[in-house]
Amino acid sequence: MESSKLIKKFEADFTQEVIDFGSKFFPEVENFRACIQCGTCTGSCPSGRETAWRVRKLIRQVQLGLKEDAIRNDALWNCTTCYTCQERCPRLIPITDIVRSVRNIAVYNGIMLPRHVQVAGLLIKYGHAVPINDETREVRKELGLDETPPTVHAFPDALGEVKKLLEDTGFIRLIEEAGREGSK
Amino acid sequence: MSRYAYFLGCLTPNRYPGIETATIDLLRLFDIEVDYMKGTSCCPAPGVFGSFDLNTWIVIAARNITIAEDMGADITLTCNGCYATLQEADHMLKHNRELVADVNRRLAKVGREYKGTVNVIHIMEILYKEIGPEKIRDMVVQPLEGVKVACHYGCHFLKPSDIRQQGNPENPTMMEELIEAIGAEPVEYRDKNMCCGAGGGVRAGKIDLALDMTRRKIDAMMEAGADCVVTPCVFCHFQFDVGQAEINNRLGAEKYKLPVVFITQLIGLALGMSPRRMGLHRNRTQVKTLLDKVFA
Amino acid sequence: MGEKVGEEPRVGVFICHCGTNIAGVIDVEELVRYASKLPGVVVAKDYRFMCSDPGQNLIKESIRNFKLNRVVVAACSPRLHEETFRETVREAGLNPFLFEMANIREHSSWVHMWQPKEATEKAKDLIRMAVAKARDLEPLEVRKVPVKPSCLVIGGGIAGISAALDLADAGFEVHLVERTPSIGGHMAQLDKTFPTMDCSACILTPKMVMVSRHPNIKLHTYSEVVDVDGYVGNFKVKILEKAKYVKDRECTGCGLCADVCPVHVPNEFELGLGARKAIYIPFPQAVPNTYVIDKEKCIECGLCAQVCEAQAIDFNMKDKEVEVEVGTIIVATGYDIFHPYEMQQYGYGKYENVITSLHMERLLSAYGPTGGKVVVPSTGEKPKRIAFIQCVGSRDEHYFPYCSRVCCMYSLKHARQIKEKYPDAETYIFFIDMRAFGKGYEEFYETAAKEYGVKCIRGKVAEIYEDPKTKKLIVRAEETLLGDPIEMEFDLVVLASAVKPSETTDEIQRILKLSKSPDGFLLEAHPKLRPVDTFADGVFLAGMAQGPKDIPDAVSQAKGAAAGAAALMGKGEVEIEPYYAVVNQEICSGCKTCSGICPYGAISYNEEGKAEINSVLCKGCGACAAACPSGAIEPNHFKFKQILDTIIAAFQEEAM
Repeated sequence: MESSKLIKKFEADFTQEVIDFGSKFFPEVENFRACIQCGTCTGSCPSGRETAWRVRKLIRQVQLGLKEDAIRNDALWNCTTCYTCQERCPRLIPITDIVRSVRNIAVYNGIMLPRHVQVAGLLIKYGHAVPINDETREVRKELGLDETPPTVHAFPDALGEVKKLLEDTGFIRLIEEAGREGSK
Repeated sequence: MSRYAYFLGCLTPNRYPGIETATIDLLRLFDIEVDYMKGTSCCPAPGVFGSFDLNTWIVIAARNITIAEDMGADITLTCNGCYATLQEADHMLKHNRELVADVNRRLAKVGREYKGTVNVIHIMEILYKEIGPEKIRDMVVQPLEGVKVACHYGCHFLKPSDIRQQGNPENPTMMEELIEAIGAEPVEYRDKNMCCGAGGGVRAGKIDLALDMTRRKIDAMMEAGADCVVTPCVFCHFQFDVGQAEINNRLGAEKYKLPVVFITQLIGLALGMSPRRMGLHRNRTQVKTLLDKVFA
Repeated sequence: MGEKVGEEPRVGVFICHCGTNIAGVIDVEELVRYASKLPGVVVAKDYRFMCSDPGQNLIKESIRNFKLNRVVVAACSPRLHEETFRETVREAGLNPFLFEMANIREHSSWVHMWQPKEATEKAKDLIRMAVAKARDLEPLEVRKVPVKPSCLVIGGGIAGISAALDLADAGFEVHLVERTPSIGGHMAQLDKTFPTMDCSACILTPKMVMVSRHPNIKLHTYSEVVDVDGYVGNFKVKILEKAKYVKDRECTGCGLCADVCPVHVPNEFELGLGARKAIYIPFPQAVPNTYVIDKEKCIECGLCAQVCEAQAIDFNMKDKEVEVEVGTIIVATGYDIFHPYEMQQYGYGKYENVITSLHMERLLSAYGPTGGKVVVPSTGEKPKRIAFIQCVGSRDEHYFPYCSRVCCMYSLKHARQIKEKYPDAETYIFFIDMRAFGKGYEEFYETAAKEYGVKCIRGKVAEIYEDPKTKKLIVRAEETLLGDPIEMEFDLVVLASAVKPSETTDEIQRILKLSKSPDGFLLEAHPKLRPVDTFADGVFLAGMAQGPKDIPDAVSQAKGAAAGAAALMGKGEVEIEPYYAVVNQEICSGCKTCSGICPYGAISYNEEGKAEINSVLCKGCGACAAACPSGAIEPNHFKFKQILDTIIAAFQEEAM
């Protein structure tokens, strides 16, 4: 007889996935194994105070291998990456960096907030998450600066480089996929 | 005379160019030259693009760093987010040969190579460590007497402390010392160390949550009697400046009007720099009350 | 002994099956065949359990029948039965150091369980090497040194006091040295002790008085151990007795001097919550009950001397250095509490109403600064809501990774005491785990919750804020059992702060050449089987100096250390293993390379400037022998030829 669908099933693969992915950038990522769920992280969390986001639970999900719970949780995107939890963790777990890693895994699985898909689109199109607008062009002129700042805005070749890199890393494809998943 | 490569990022040039002029002019007063880095893109934003794909994040970050390497100058910047990305990416690449090889494989396709020859220095470090409160005090022509300032460090300048190495994040004093040097009074307020709410993609993805956090901060600052909030991060600056207007919209009332200034702008005021030249009149939340007090 | 130098070695090899431990993997018959063909081997035998009586008899008979003068046993680790077989050999009339063991169990059959052929070959190698060494072995004599029947106990807390009393009762002389003006240690600062809720002073002070009265205990208070020379059984100790400027015998403890003294100083015993004078006793039940002048704070006004009817004050007193000779030493230097100023998120040192647990003990104590009334420091009012915060500094990789062991229990105790004094007060303990491990502790925990209404919240506190107007504290944590962040206001916050080794530990460690564990406390010889011994013979540990522990464990350890010391002193002599190194005086050039290398301080130089090794201090580690550029030093039983021949044998292909 099958057990109730509410009974959680642990997937050790997910735990390993986080380690494999995260350790490329964050050598200490495995420290989450030492987490004793003391709650200092959630106690410090400014988002946790305003919403249902519980970063302690995310670490538990990673420890035990609860992939769907972790990546499909909308609250995963409530973290402002303020790093207070990571700073105070008594077991030196890079909590915020693990949040980013799990977010990456979510994005690879096509999960992204629609507004984020838009922001990513701005980077792809303009090379800036916040591109210049007419109002600010005026201000720049008024202050005696070049109307167009000397970023990729003023150097099309540079923008070309950025786009090439975004193509090369697969970022553009990643965002397209997530955009398609989101609109389903 | 020391020289830095100014990394502009997005918000400074594209929304608050006043911070750009204030910073360049202020450093020039102390014989510090800043040259623009050319062809830089978004750093890319650490909590946004770092949350989407770290592999892309580090390549774009490395590309930006190579521009300064070509100039042979250390990078400086006016945003905690850009600092988080460039300083952390640089740190990672300096400690992980495999990662450098990966990144350079991609950068080679656009004719670039990360060499690890420059450092990333936050504007706060230049102000506090290179110039120092004493030298600033000596140059004050308009002491900000009676001006109560709420210092907001933001998150990524100090944390994570093992990589940033800017002192104890639970009790920093750099900004307070600078504020005192220009004659103003830093005020203690509840949740001083708390995030402004903008980072991690929250402003973009969940604006109401971001504004909830911003509101807590401004409430606490106002309760403590602050005349303005000062910050070394243009993203926090943006969140406070525009955020107050957004909160007012949602409330249907003009409740929040605490002036927001960038650290180089506030010091600039004390050193006799023109508020107009620093673009203060273009802030969304009016700075008139602050200027009145300064020039009273 | 049955051999003379120059006589041909006649080696007997005895191979143990160890049941199936060895024989189940290794072909023992093959080993017997192999061993009997090795150079110098006269006979090779095997047996199921060589360490048993029949096994040992087999060895003894073989020694007699075959006139053996060297014995090799191929069996388990020497750590288990080297002593056994040495005795066997000695009983058969041979010098016990003409014996060598080859470990073919831990080093072969056990670790190469699935490769029997290779394991057998390796066993052959090991036996061949052991035989080569055995051929070179020389007879050695075990030295005995006398042990003086006196003990130095460093530290006058409950551990030091317990050890001193046990030894003194057993008839040994004890020198108890305490750094502060009175014995009693931290236990004297406690109000009540868990789980019995005994008044700490009531159970401690009788022992303190017994110490002061005991004819066998020489009490040195306001004193420090500055140097220890010598070795087990014969330690020469220099004790610095700091000048009290008050004569012990004359002072009646009346306290008139303190009444007139104009100088107020924060009282260390009260952790700064109260003041004392420049002339003071640390607490009313101090032993000895002699006032002491803190010379650094004294302004030399002389008022105290004027009112002292006993004429006990003497400003001309000087520090005195006393030398004593003892046979054993017990280190009971205790702990200090961590003052978490660095943990700015808790506001200790910034917020008036955030204190440590030791401060709370003083507030609870009837002879404390408030006479036992627990008050909110900023208002002096009684607290309505108190938070106890566990694991401050402990279990934290930023500060102290270890658990401080006593804090869960004492916070339960504090909360219960608050509820006893103020039944309407609310008490909350913020914890990660509630550790109630000892006898009666779990029951104590249950009683605190059930009968006293102490509330426990599972969540380590993230940060504490102060309301600048009311000075009340807002505590932020996550109630992890509910999974919700909480913010609560408290009048008073008590930090259960980590314990760390007392600041004198480093100095004592240096003087006695002890080791530390990674956690910073002093290292015991074996965590399970020798918990009070150290690697320095004759030096024992007791109490928190060895690690965080509660009073029952501290006293148990003290009794254990006393028993260890008494064993040495009772026997009156101790055997020194003859593994020490010896300097060949003719070759030694006096270059002085060796003494810097020796971790035991065993090397000194004679009138000719040549090195000499104290055979009692020497542990035979061999570092000096390796370092000596002239090759003048060789450790007994591990001489150059012995080692070289073993190595050469290792590389030989086949016997012969």
